[in-house]
Amino acid sequence: MRQRSLFWLAACAALALCTGATTVQALQVTDDQGVTLTLPKAPQRIVSLLPALTETVCALGQCQRLVGVDRYSNFPESVKKLPQVGGGLDPNIEAIVALHPDLVLAALSSRSATRLLSLGIPVFALEPKTHADVQRAIAKLSQLLEIADGQKLWREIDAGVEVAARSLPVSVRGTRVYFEVNRGPFGAGEASFIGETLTRLGVKNILPARLGPFPQINPELVVRENPDLILVGESNLEGMEQRPGWSRIRAIREHHVCVFTPTQSDVLVRPGPRLAVAARIMAQCMSDQAPRAKGLPQ
Amino acid sequence: MKSGIALSAQSLSASLGGRAVLHDISLNIVQGQWTSILGPNGAGKSTLLKAFAGLLPHSGSVSLLGQPIQSMPRRSRARALAWLGQNETAADDLSAWDVVMLGRLPHQAWLAPPNDKDLAAVERALRFTQAWDWRHRPLGQLSGGERQRVLLARALAVEAQVLLMDEPLANLDPPHQADWLCVVEALLMHGGTVVSVLHEITIALNANRLVVMREGRVTHHGATQDAATRDAVCQAFDKRIAIHPLNGQWVALPHIPSVNPFHPVPKDASP
Amino acid sequence: MNVTRTGGLLAWAALVCAAVVVLGLCIGSAGFENTVGALLGPPNAERAMAQQIVWDIRLPRTLGALAAGALLGLAGALAQGLFRNPLADPYLLGSASGASLGVALALASMGSAGMLGSSVVSEASVAASVFSSSVWVRLGLTGAAFAGAVLAVMLTLSLARGVQHTLRLLLAGVIVGVVLGAVTSLVLLFSPDSLQAMQSFLLGSTSFIGWTSCLLMAVVWLLCALAAWTLARVLDGLSLGEATAQSLGLPIGPLRAALVAVLALATGTAVAQTGLIAFVGLAAPHLVRAMARVPHRQLMWLSSAMGAVLLGGADLLARWLIAPQELPVGVLTAVLGGLYLLWLMHRGSGSLGGLRT
Repeated sequence: MRQRSLFWLAACAALALCTGATTVQALQVTDDQGVTLTLPKAPQRIVSLLPALTETVCALGQCQRLVGVDRYSNFPESVKKLPQVGGGLDPNIEAIVALHPDLVLAALSSRSATRLLSLGIPVFALEPKTHADVQRAIAKLSQLLEIADGQKLWREIDAGVEVAARSLPVSVRGTRVYFEVNRGPFGAGEASFIGETLTRLGVKNILPARLGPFPQINPELVVRENPDLILVGESNLEGMEQRPGWSRIRAIREHHVCVFTPTQSDVLVRPGPRLAVAARIMAQCMSDQAPRAKGLPQ
Repeated sequence: MKSGIALSAQSLSASLGGRAVLHDISLNIVQGQWTSILGPNGAGKSTLLKAFAGLLPHSGSVSLLGQPIQSMPRRSRARALAWLGQNETAADDLSAWDVVMLGRLPHQAWLAPPNDKDLAAVERALRFTQAWDWRHRPLGQLSGGERQRVLLARALAVEAQVLLMDEPLANLDPPHQADWLCVVEALLMHGGTVVSVLHEITIALNANRLVVMREGRVTHHGATQDAATRDAVCQAFDKRIAIHPLNGQWVALPHIPSVNPFHPVPKDASP
Repeated sequence: MNVTRTGGLLAWAALVCAAVVVLGLCIGSAGFENTVGALLGPPNAERAMAQQIVWDIRLPRTLGALAAGALLGLAGALAQGLFRNPLADPYLLGSASGASLGVALALASMGSAGMLGSSVVSEASVAASVFSSSVWVRLGLTGAAFAGAVLAVMLTLSLARGVQHTLRLLLAGVIVGVVLGAVTSLVLLFSPDSLQAMQSFLLGSTSFIGWTSCLLMAVVWLLCALAAWTLARVLDGLSLGEATAQSLGLPIGPLRAALVAVLALATGTAVAQTGLIAFVGLAAPHLVRAMARVPHRQLMWLSSAMGAVLLGGADLLARWLIAPQELPVGVLTAVLGGLYLLWLMHRGSGSLGGLRT
């Protein structure tokens, strides 16, 4: 008798443990800050405070779950119709709460997390900075949104970058490039996501990885390195030729400059699902502008 | 002895911060003599002096040596009239010599370096105030009395015919107060005119003439020798002072009433 | 006499500046290198490269930093004399905030993506944004900064209704500074792409000084220094008190206006070329006063020299410390100037400049 009751007790305990374990594991994802979020079910009302994350959610086909975005999220078009809750650094807490979200996606640098948490709103912090970060962000968001094959998106992105790399003529590979992100001058080094894309496209970045992702460099460095091609946004192009010593740089002298429109710049500076689009834009321009593409000697 | 008019005010009224301080004053300051302006606090003495110096907007007219002061070219006025004010300086960096040299500005061409006349005038002024020995020390390192002497020297360096001084004895100890009296006497002997505002009544009683003020008006103007003038002074202070002769000088002493207004004790309570 | 002291200080400053120039030729994106050796060596590719780098980049940048420092040092001495306040700096009339606003507007309209949360949709709005941005493109950032600085000073003057009352002028300058600063923040809020570029302006940068900038600053400094030298007597007279200055026959009103104009010109030029470099204007006159007490006519030159030394040294360090990366030069001027002032105070003369401690 005692043996049988013990057996049933053990069986019930085991069953309870199993179901309990599965329910405990149902939605437990760790964000980039190391905080583990435990949600009873997949979030249905999401507010995103980072454009890259907005794009990722939509790329995963879950645009309909977004109820609010920050003012800088502008892709895809449907997102622009959503209520805007301020910026990433200065979100409007009241507006967020009014939307009754069950999850807020924020950047690591956002100070709103504590406030929102104290109001009972779960916050998931992600700030992709490299390709690996983007892959990880996609994985974690797929887990959160309970997408079956989360890695499919990344595979598509990866394939897209690969296609862009292959579209580049062999002669263009090895061109020495300088990507200027902003006046300062701030350049994109090998360690940044832009740098990683450039490396995959097969060109050589004059700013090595040891300088960090977006270093503020001495403009003299660019003169000394004498890149064959410069990539820059339209708004930062103004005045570049007048910089002391820059008129001698091969890229400026022979007009090998890739100029990006503001819309294109928007894509290029966001580490998100449009990495492949960014790679394509860069490859397209480099195919046209690089010296070797034009048949000129190296 | 010259007895022209150095400064003349006609229907002079002035206000400070919206409040009328001087009411319709008409006054002549005699040339070649020392006039001292006396009166209780808030009577408008400093304001009157400033108006005479042409430093204050006023209604009515002020003339300097016969000419209306407002229409005089700035530099001519600066050469004819020197002013020593109260508590204004912030020039801690300048040396005493530099400060006194600033007094020569009305005589110097705009960018010209000091010429021999300027150097001589500065030396004279510094010696008059016994400041010559430490003329290179910066103002910030001087004591209150030394500073005052340097500022006085600055006013003397202008070598103007008319010298207006507002509280020139601030921070000066009795020996230097005596020196100041000698300086004034020397100035008068050279034909200059001195007008001062002093709250040390005894010193002021050494002046040739007194202007007594009360509540923005001149109640009396006359020679110190006249008993009427001295009575007017006592009157202006509500008879709280008494003026006594002493060794050929006049001395003003506080007048202590027989009944102490703060502690009345009946007279027949004494043993 | 102070003349020998002044002469000694000027000689010291000239020596340091010469050292800064020589070092400036050798310090660049590769840290410290023996460029002078290469220049004097045999004619080969290395020498050609060194000549190019030195002539095109390092020499104008070093000289430009010295000129900018001289402008700021001069402006600081003028501001402290004009306001008779040892804590005054050349940005008090609102020129800094005006320049920031000009630059922010220029950056925002040049990079029209993300402005006001809307992107360019129709042809009409494209045309509108191109039209509005062309003014700023033509002006360029330096033009925008200078225009902003000058307009801000004019706004301050009109708020204070002239230069007669120093306190009112000071107050108006502070108000204009705060308000324009707030507007700048607002503009940046709607154009976050400009934030990074704006930061490099706000912290000051000597990276892009070429020969035009350098010569422009040098010429403006010379003009302002000569003007300030002739006006130095006014400042000395004013330091005796306004009433006394008036009694000495100084035409205070017009001369003050002239001083404000010189101050605005000097500050506007420096800010337009190098951004907002903090502390040089404030510290240079104090550093001079801690070493020699001189009247304004000599203070102008000494303060310029001290400002040049400060900014020249800071520029060298900005290039050297983490080469090929650069530190913002404004941070280094604050550190260098602050440390030097602290050391002087510690060595202690009891009173520092105009401050009685």
